Amino acid sequence: MIFLFSLTTAPVAFGKVNVVATLPWIGSIAKAIGKDKIEVTVLVKPTQDPHYVEAKPSMILAARKADILMYDGLDLEIGYVPLLIESSRNPNIQPGKPGNLDCSQYIMPIEKPLSADRSMGDVHLLGNPHYHFSPENILHVTEGIADALSQIDQDNANFYSANLTEFKDRFKEKQKQWSDKALKLKGKRFIAYHKYFEYLAKDFGFEIVEYVEPKPGIPASAAHIVRLIELIKQKKPDAILTTPYYGLQESESLAKKTGLKVIILPQDVGVTDAVKDWFSFMDQTLLLLD
Amino acid sequence: MRIFLCLLFLLIPFSKSFGSDDIEQRVKTLEDFSKTQQKTIEEQQGVIDELKKSQRPDEGYGRQKTTAAGGLFGGSALSNPNISLVVNSFFYSSNISGAELLNRGIPGFTTAGIDRQKGFNLDSAELFIFAPVDPYFNLYANIPVTENGATVEEAYFITSSLPEGLQIKGGKFKSGFGRINSQHPHAWDFADLPIVYRAFIGGEGVTEKGIQLTYLPQLPVYMQLGVEALQGENEALFGPDAKSGPHAYGVFAKASFDFGDDSTILFGPSVLTGNTKTNSVAKGTEFTGTSTLYDIEFTYKWKPSKVRSFILQSEYMLRDQKGDLLNTALSAVAPLKRSQDGAYIQGIYQIERWRIGARYDLLEIFKNQYLLSGSEQAFGEKPWRATGDLEFNLTEFSRIRLQYNYDRSASDGRTNNEVFVQLILGIGAHAAHPF
Repeated sequence: MIFLFSLTTAPVAFGKVNVVATLPWIGSIAKAIGKDKIEVTVLVKPTQDPHYVEAKPSMILAARKADILMYDGLDLEIGYVPLLIESSRNPNIQPGKPGNLDCSQYIMPIEKPLSADRSMGDVHLLGNPHYHFSPENILHVTEGIADALSQIDQDNANFYSANLTEFKDRFKEKQKQWSDKALKLKGKRFIAYHKYFEYLAKDFGFEIVEYVEPKPGIPASAAHIVRLIELIKQKKPDAILTTPYYGLQESESLAKKTGLKVIILPQDVGVTDAVKDWFSFMDQTLLLLD
Repeated sequence: MRIFLCLLFLLIPFSKSFGSDDIEQRVKTLEDFSKTQQKTIEEQQGVIDELKKSQRPDEGYGRQKTTAAGGLFGGSALSNPNISLVVNSFFYSSNISGAELLNRGIPGFTTAGIDRQKGFNLDSAELFIFAPVDPYFNLYANIPVTENGATVEEAYFITSSLPEGLQIKGGKFKSGFGRINSQHPHAWDFADLPIVYRAFIGGEGVTEKGIQLTYLPQLPVYMQLGVEALQGENEALFGPDAKSGPHAYGVFAKASFDFGDDSTILFGPSVLTGNTKTNSVAKGTEFTGTSTLYDIEFTYKWKPSKVRSFILQSEYMLRDQKGDLLNTALSAVAPLKRSQDGAYIQGIYQIERWRIGARYDLLEIFKNQYLLSGSEQAFGEKPWRATGDLEFNLTEFSRIRLQYNYDRSASDGRTNNEVFVQLILGIGAHAAHPF
């Protein structure tokens, strides 16, 4: 009995660290820091809409075995992560424990409304959660993930630290390339399907003038489409931004009516084969925006 | 005096040349000094800039750790627990009169009728309150408020830090028996319960005071095991007077597999057993004995995207009863030993915000008679019902449903044609429903 208890309370000593990440980009960053010393399970597929995920028993089982659960936060996963944590019966990942990692604690959220209620649609009260489009924020998240892994697995802290340095070096290189792209994007104006790309707009100097969704999570009505077509005629934005699995049909139909171009940006790592990790995710995004 | 002044004037050029060397020297010294000062200033400015830069991480990209303090469900549950209110209202119509509906039981199964008003109904305004108590317990309460007052339907704790895989639930809660028993009415796939539930358990489900222990072992597949010790107050199955103290026990197992990314099945057996004292066997009778209710459930969910899904679900129940049946009018007691079963199967197809559903209920699957007053009665027609419904979910928080029941469960040759128009609305922070 005592032996059993000591097994359950001992820090990870043997085998790989079992990391469970909700979103693909989190899994990709964790893999870049942990490499072969960690085992990563990602719960949400890159083809799924991250706002509407149902907690399946297989996800509960994955959380049960986790040493650390990493999630996006800012209430994006409020529909399933609290249920997962409670049903997992895993004391390591309960709130406040080092095995419960809310990645949003390392970032600077934008678009925090002063007040909100559900008549405004599915508003994110704690700020826009799609910060994986922002290089500066991701750098801080990566540092946080390296910290968390080192805390859980102290024996390999130097290994994680070295991989973090490697990541930072690659990041610095990429930032130079990306700032060149940013110059071309400055001043451009787009219409977006959903409030997905606000961090991208802020970091790269373009503007999103209107949304196809009249309110977050509410599909566009015929009246709203008419208004949008008028707006497009007047303001002449450069293109409509959307993702492949959320808003593509509506965006393409609007594009046909107005002659506007549709730019399909990846919503997360792994959407296509070209988007293998977070760096290629940003590369691809900026390439498509050109 | 004048000679002195002349001498002084003479000295000036001398002093000038001395001075110019000296001045040049001093100017040079000054220049060198200012150069080094400049260098120092530049270096110090550099240090200040570095300090400014390194300070930025704390300002905004801060280690806020707000969600840790906010607890399990986001936001700040420290001073205010999560509260939500769900209002379930419907318009009900039937070709059978209201008084007859109340007495319309299922012969051989239950005397309980249909307790609904024809016309506008407020099923309940249910308050759901939940929050972590501390790092050891989460507390949930479900308080339906009806026109007759508020009742505590559920009030229970769930442990959050037992050693791996174990969890205890205690207080008053819905038993983990079966598939639908633990679902709240606003989450049901139809406006009413399948007939097997009304026949064996009653409209309120098995909601008991007691304790439940569940275990989720670390296996390659999901398998949850549970045992329950309950007070046993359910009027149909057990009855508060059957025995003093807890007299109902439950065991269940639920397993789940994924097939690819889009399909999941969940299935497993459940058993409830205990002492019984009930009036629900037949009018004017009282049954005292033991009841054991077996259930096997199966659910298949296919969900390739958020706008399309299909759910196929079925449960089969078997109830064994053994004891004595008292006929109150005659004061005659006769032994009663019987075994009855029933099942339902339902399918729901979702497209965009619409869902269309169909359900079939059947009781006494394998036999053609049922026991009443010690003698076998022929069914004639087994109790059955067919249901169809159409649902529109404007958002996750509002739902409209239109449902039609073709109900032939009263075995009296008459069909109860029922129509529901239902509206379910929710406000506040509501915990996600389980799979």
